[in-house]
Amino acid sequence: MKLLMIDDDTGLCELLSEYLSAQGFSIQTAHDGQQGLELALQNDYALILLDVMLPSIDGFEVLKQLRQSKLTPVIMLTAKGEDFDRIFGLELGADDYIAKPFNHRELLARVKAITRRIEHINSVSNNNKKISSNGITVNFATREASINNNSLTLTGTEYEILALLMKHAPNVISKEQISEDVLGRRLASFDRSIDMHVSNIRKKIAEHIDGDKIKTMRGTGYVFIQGE
Amino acid sequence: MSSSKENKPHRFSWLRHPRHYLFFKVFTWFWLTIIGTFTALFFLSNISLINAISHDPLQGPMQKNLEYLARAIERSAHKHKRSINDIITHPRLTKRKLLYLNSQNSDEVLISKDVENNIDLSLLNFSKGMPPQVIFTEYYQAFGPMRIRVPEGEFELYEIDINQQRPLFIRLRLLPVWLKISIAIIASLTLSFLFSRNLIAPINSLKQAAIKLSNGDLSARAAINSQRKDELGVLGRDFNRMADQLEQLLSAQKRLLADISHELRSPLTRLKMATGLAQMQASEASQSYLLRIEKEANQLDKMIADVLQVSRLEANSQPLSLQAQSLQVIVDHVINDAQFEAKQHNKTLLVHGNVEVNIECDEMLIASALENILRNAIKYAQHTISISLKHSDTIYIQICDDGPGVPKAQLDKLCEPFFRQSDARDRLSGGTGLGLAIAKNAVIAHGGNLALSNKYAGGLCVEVSLPIQKREHVL
Repeated sequence: MKLLMIDDDTGLCELLSEYLSAQGFSIQTAHDGQQGLELALQNDYALILLDVMLPSIDGFEVLKQLRQSKLTPVIMLTAKGEDFDRIFGLELGADDYIAKPFNHRELLARVKAITRRIEHINSVSNNNKKISSNGITVNFATREASINNNSLTLTGTEYEILALLMKHAPNVISKEQISEDVLGRRLASFDRSIDMHVSNIRKKIAEHIDGDKIKTMRGTGYVFIQGE
Repeated sequence: MSSSKENKPHRFSWLRHPRHYLFFKVFTWFWLTIIGTFTALFFLSNISLINAISHDPLQGPMQKNLEYLARAIERSAHKHKRSINDIITHPRLTKRKLLYLNSQNSDEVLISKDVENNIDLSLLNFSKGMPPQVIFTEYYQAFGPMRIRVPEGEFELYEIDINQQRPLFIRLRLLPVWLKISIAIIASLTLSFLFSRNLIAPINSLKQAAIKLSNGDLSARAAINSQRKDELGVLGRDFNRMADQLEQLLSAQKRLLADISHELRSPLTRLKMATGLAQMQASEASQSYLLRIEKEANQLDKMIADVLQVSRLEANSQPLSLQAQSLQVIVDHVINDAQFEAKQHNKTLLVHGNVEVNIECDEMLIASALENILRNAIKYAQHTISISLKHSDTIYIQICDDGPGVPKAQLDKLCEPFFRQSDARDRLSGGTGLGLAIAKNAVIAHGGNLALSNKYAGGLCVEVSLPIQKREHVL
């Protein structure tokens, strides 16, 4: 599985390549924003690890430009304590983030959580399953969502969350469960990642139809509304 | 931020404790000086101008002159048999003097020459039969009456001096005394006020700028007129230059801190990665050393993060991400984690009361403040940690342990970064010496306060107070 790492720390890139190669991934590295963006646009990677602080163009700009044409999963590497970076990255469509300096096990867990989905589709692509509800259709085979036959451009994480909510509707799904199912990690205290992803999904749905399709249950989680 | 609220001076506070304010002293001295000057002028002008508003008895040479004139008129009337009218209208006399004769018997009045309309000589009639006076009116001074006997009958003679001064000055002089005094007081008060404000305004501006600076607002400058040449002007400009220098130095220091920590993080990340790689290949024997390396790297990581958080909070440079939130949710979360930690150390956590209040706060910061206080309490407690939650206008969260407490002299220092009271033990338990500093700064950033005290029975109490009302001004 091919990964791209965009980070100006060449030493870290070398170590990470070695570590992830040992785990069965193949890694390509870029050391500045522009070069990284070009690589990301030309190739189809399973995942991109993107640092925030980069020469030429910064990580946010890379992500913004990438998202205009591609939905490749992105994990942002943010500096610890910089809450703003984290929130901004998720708003721009990053799938997850990990704070530097990170633990190698933590990084591996997140990389695996996201790449596992791709393996997952490959294995179940034969049974052509779909769920439709309230005007929204989720196609498990192609991992695509659509509203009244207009396709919805969701990132991998956003798609997973929407599919999870629709599969379990009308039951409420807790944020903890969403985090463990979709991001492959326990939700940290006061982590707003899931809220950010849900807010992104709502915005994208609202571009096509009126009315809130996902309801926030205060203190418990989220629920997909089936009826009108 | 809002912690400067207590320092903000009341606009008229100098009225309450006038002696403490230079403004009042300067004001008083100006006022007294001006009052004194006015009073002196007032008395001097009285003495020099014989400021009789109505009349005074005529004395001395003036009286002699008038008598002489009267006798001369009588003599020429009797000796030269000239009519009184001829005498007083004789050019030699009218050239210098204006005479006014008032008949004793009839209402007949004689004037030596015509006068302007506004000069009302009939005013003089009140003095009929009085001894000679000097009579002072708005437009003239009159000397008389002096009785003369001529063949036409008896007359009362007045010599009139038309005032050469403008009527305005005379009118001023004739104003009632109380009015003059109040005018003087109002004028001097206004002047003194303006004078003292002119002196005090730059000092106040300096004071405000100094308060803001000490509260961390490095962009604060004193508003001093650049044209001002006196000591205050110089002081103000020097102050501003000092503030410039300070701002530059501090921002350079902050940049340095951020740069260093960023630079430290990169090798630390690499160190962790390399450790991970080594762990994959290492033999059983070296695994324990690698685990130790990993643990120390994590400790370094935490210290860097804590140092950065304290410095960001102290510099007010961390924007709070405020969210309306029930405090109970945050507190429950933190207590749940702490309960787990306490159980591991065989200690009990007791909770009283609740804080079911919605407040606008940065939940991460408040949670990390409470976490740090609780972790500290668990570390030093012998058996129990008690948490009491209260709220009215303000939220009070009190966290007490039953440990040895802290010597009184060291209570204040506990919140200083890297202060440790018993060195060796803390480092083993994994503290960075920054927990309470983070807690205090986080609480202050929310407009609250953190107070430390020793329990009577032993043990340290940390009380966090947070205001409930929303603070819109804070980002």
